[in-house]
Amino acid sequence: MAFEQKSGMSLIVKTITRLTVGLILIFGIYIVLHGHLSPGGGFAGGVIIALAFVHLMLAFGKDAVTTRISKEMASNLESIGALMFLVIALIGYFGGSFFLNILSKGTPFELFSSGTIPLSNAAISLKVGVGLFAIFLALVILEGSKREK
Amino acid sequence: MTLYLLCLALFSVGLYGVLRKRNLVKIIIGLGIIEYSMNLFFVLLGYRYHGRAPIDAQAQDILNMVDPLPQALVLTSIVIGLGVTALVISIAIRIYEKYGTFDITKIKRLKG
Repeated sequence: MAFEQKSGMSLIVKTITRLTVGLILIFGIYIVLHGHLSPGGGFAGGVIIALAFVHLMLAFGKDAVTTRISKEMASNLESIGALMFLVIALIGYFGGSFFLNILSKGTPFELFSSGTIPLSNAAISLKVGVGLFAIFLALVILEGSKREK
Repeated sequence: MTLYLLCLALFSVGLYGVLRKRNLVKIIIGLGIIEYSMNLFFVLLGYRYHGRAPIDAQAQDILNMVDPLPQALVLTSIVIGLGVTALVISIAIRIYEKYGTFDITKIKRLKG
């Protein structure tokens, strides 16, 4: 606890952040998983997930996050998201054409339905979430390198 | 019609910020306001009164839906706006690093 006092914002902000950041993350995952049933989907959920991490970084200082997630790791995860989306699209060739939805559709309006669309939403959310977080991380690192000069 | 004119007013506010302000951060905020006024205008073009969201929900008749096409376009536009804003902010940070000011009238040196 003691070392956390040095960087970041005040104790009040840190305590509230500890309470809310998990809720924001869970809400983002909910938006991603229900993307094929209700408004939302991969992009909106990914943005909410990225904002949870940005929130954490603003409250606890950049060292709390940059020591755990480096810029290279964020870049790699973003590429993995794009490749997952491509692989899901290529799976369609087993049934005949690009982006063909060959998995079982299930019954409509249930959580596990509509074949490959939830998987595509998950891939897009990974790409968007990590990408938006990487933009913020790059701006923070740029700011830090300027201050060291 | 009133709503479209209000969109135009919002656009004018952003344009005033871009043309008249001298601080780079205020110019970037003006760009953001212009972008959002355009997004609002596109969504309003597809709106119809007493319409409902274009979602295939359970046990509901597909009646009086608003036009989903501008909404899909605006989603793309928001993503592009995010990229543009990130680019402009990083350029502004570089300019501050080089000249030590955000005031555009004091950024005169062309090289060095």
